[in-house]
Amino acid sequence: MIKFFSIIILISPFFYCQSDSFDFFSSQNIKKFADHLYCEGDYLRAVEQYQSIQQSISDDTTDYKIIYAYSLTGYLQKSNELFKSISTESDLYPAAHLLSLKNQLLLNRKSILTESGVSDDSVYLRNLNKLRIISMLYDEELSYSRERFTYTFDEDEKIPVSKLYDEKFNPPNKDAIAAGVLSAIIPGSGKMYVGEWGDGIAALITTGLLAFLAVDNFEAGHDTRAWIFTALGGFFYIGNIYGSVAAAQIFNARIDFEFNAALNLFLEEKNYFVPVYDFCN
Amino acid sequence: MKWERADFRYEQPVEQTRRDYSFESADAGEFITKSLTNAYWFFISDVDGDNCPFRPSCSVFLLESVRETNVFQATFMFFDRFTRDVNLFKGKNHYPRLKNGYYFDPAVNYTLVSEKINYLPPGFVVDD
Repeated sequence: MIKFFSIIILISPFFYCQSDSFDFFSSQNIKKFADHLYCEGDYLRAVEQYQSIQQSISDDTTDYKIIYAYSLTGYLQKSNELFKSISTESDLYPAAHLLSLKNQLLLNRKSILTESGVSDDSVYLRNLNKLRIISMLYDEELSYSRERFTYTFDEDEKIPVSKLYDEKFNPPNKDAIAAGVLSAIIPGSGKMYVGEWGDGIAALITTGLLAFLAVDNFEAGHDTRAWIFTALGGFFYIGNIYGSVAAAQIFNARIDFEFNAALNLFLEEKNYFVPVYDFCN
Repeated sequence: MKWERADFRYEQPVEQTRRDYSFESADAGEFITKSLTNAYWFFISDVDGDNCPFRPSCSVFLLESVRETNVFQATFMFFDRFTRDVNLFKGKNHYPRLKNGYYFDPAVNYTLVSEKINYLPPGFVVDD
């Protein structure tokens, strides 16, 4: 009897799982699977699943998830193309609009042209204005004063935005000509001026040593050796002036690089002022 | 087979094996520089070993400089590179590195054309 019941219990799950009554590929189940993939961060596979059921199940949340997923995975152009399909009546339309502006900013790296808001929502309008203003830092010129530039931002954002403003329009650049002139007066001092102390000291010692050897050999009557040291010293001297100018240019390139890195980091931290929705909990 | 000597090799490919000794050059300045560099490689560098901590090495830097600019400017670039090589503290937070540890310092950053400078931070690891 026990054997009979055991066999019945063990066999029944096999019949159940083979049953046709459970449709794995129904739209609802595909959507559940896509939601799971989305929440696991497997965005492109989630998009694939969402798009396979878009004919039967279509809602603005799914549309928003698709454009958000494309944006996160770097398909910015595609994300912006799909943004046009979101209804202007949707509650998610303002967020989608901000997302499309973020994509535009990442694609072009230049200021977002003034666009009027698509909703009266004050939080959205404020974020739109913040994104529009901060994008001006990608341009070369700006007519705003610092106070006017930072006015839109919250108190905790004002300090980093103000710092970015200063770094952009008053960068601590070094003058390449001044570096060259300094090195012409005292070898290596131009490099020290741009912060390359090790290179500057090396240039000073090398040029100084060769100059000393040249003078010493001239005084000792070893003219051939003296001229060789003179020529070498001359090359090192001019090379050091040239190198100081180049070092100032590289220093300025570094300032520019660091500014862009700081700006991108700030925008990433703020998610480009696009609201974050938790679709998973 | 199990107890036989394993044939492990711990050698690393060296720069000399990848050297281009050809005399393909666009102008007289480059031809002269290439001749001097070839002579330096053959008589000095190949014998002395792979000692330059930079990539491109100082001799290749000179050739690249001639290709990017002209023989006079390249000479100044070369002496500047040589001075930077003399700096004992050059390795401290200064240059990006290649995967094999060499300092990455291309000639294109020193042509005095700001637009050509490709700044990379010191911690950056460049693909060889």
